Amino acid sequence: MKPKIAAQSGTFESSDVIFLIEPLPDNSGRKLDISSTVMQQYGSSFNRIVTEMLDEYQMTDIHLIAKDKGALEPTIKARLETAINRSMERQEGTL
Amino acid sequence: MTFEDTDFRQETLDLENPFDVKLVKDFLGGLGFEFDPAEVECTMIVYNLKGDLVGTGSHQGRILKYFVVDPKFRDTTAFALIVTYMTEKLLKIYKHTFVFTRPENAIRFTGLGFTQIASAEPLYTLLEFGFESIYTYQDYLKTLIVPVTGETVAAIVVNCNPFTNGHKFLIEKAAVENEIVYLFVVEEDQSAFPFSVRWDLIRKGITHLKNVKMVRGGMYVVSGSIFPAYFLKNETVDDVMQKQAELDVRIFANYIVPVLGIKRRYVGTELYCKTTESYNHAMKTILPLSGVEVIEVTRKAIGLGSDNLPDYISASKVREAIKKDKLSEVIDFLPDSTRDYLFSDESLPIRQKIKDGKGRH
Repeated sequence: MKPKIAAQSGTFESSDVIFLIEPLPDNSGRKLDISSTVMQQYGSSFNRIVTEMLDEYQMTDIHLIAKDKGALEPTIKARLETAINRSMERQEGTL
Repeated sequence: MTFEDTDFRQETLDLENPFDVKLVKDFLGGLGFEFDPAEVECTMIVYNLKGDLVGTGSHQGRILKYFVVDPKFRDTTAFALIVTYMTEKLLKIYKHTFVFTRPENAIRFTGLGFTQIASAEPLYTLLEFGFESIYTYQDYLKTLIVPVTGETVAAIVVNCNPFTNGHKFLIEKAAVENEIVYLFVVEEDQSAFPFSVRWDLIRKGITHLKNVKMVRGGMYVVSGSIFPAYFLKNETVDDVMQKQAELDVRIFANYIVPVLGIKRRYVGTELYCKTTESYNHAMKTILPLSGVEVIEVTRKAIGLGSDNLPDYISASKVREAIKKDKLSEVIDFLPDSTRDYLFSDESLPIRQKIKDGKGRH
């Protein structure tokens, strides 16, 4: 599935993780820009969680930006799920 | 409107309402900032539940401005709340957002996930956040690279407002002396002639030059006029201008030069415009450090002017002539493409705008 609109989840003040998602042109696959303050230690597990989640939702043609501050796995999943749902217009943002 | 932090209440102000403007003005004034409602598009304000004013933030286009939190509340999440609110709003419209701030405050934005692009100590740092970044622009540049055998790769940055024989002379000179010339056209639409028109006139005017590659200036090549000068009350205008130019040139040196392998940058000598003059000065100080030679070319002149000095070609003289309806006096300044355009009906709205308008551009 392809995101319909650009969407964001997470806030700056909660200091866990922010996700930005935008649609890419057809057949361009996934583009992930992940930056994390704990990249060294948890980078690979963060990447794994994101990839699994995107697989689960079968997302393609997606540009995903993550700014992580060391969020725990359930938080990462919840934020990403929200971002995906917002980008599919299945859920509205808080603003 | 709902939000996640229940300690605060947030409101968007009505900038048409003098009471709202006064509220922000007094708040910012007390903290040493001069609020100018003409410089912003939208302002939001945050209270706590007791009704104390906690902080405020504004934006103009994609630029965040006047992000201030009262010192009493700086240990709270108010600042992050304001930034979240504004970026979330802006990223629905734009691909990315920018912040100019003092270098000592840059850390407050990098801590929230902003990326620092360049710094002109001790006045400014530029940061960005969003779907696109300066790396997206670099990817665009990579698609334009023309392979060269030698070392003679030149760059020229032009606004061409409008395109004159002076610009043409500079571009032709660079084209003769170099294997490839990258011609950056300032994309920011703050000039009398819109980008699409400027781009078209140049394109038609240089079709005979096969080794000139036109490049869109994007958000990163001379975005001068977007620059807020409000938090620099103690600096002179010259200082601000100088630092702005320095910031632009640093971005050029750090992000554009390495991608395209630029070795020379051509500029015309500046006689009339102070902003361009400080820009040239910044280039001569910064670019040689990145291995780029700055070549200053004496402006092309046509005969003698009324003051018996050489009559240098300049786009501002052309605009002046349009304003006074004496276009025929500067006809020698104009290459075919610009002349045809200016004498056509197509350019009527722009000419009218220049006649009505004021200011540098």
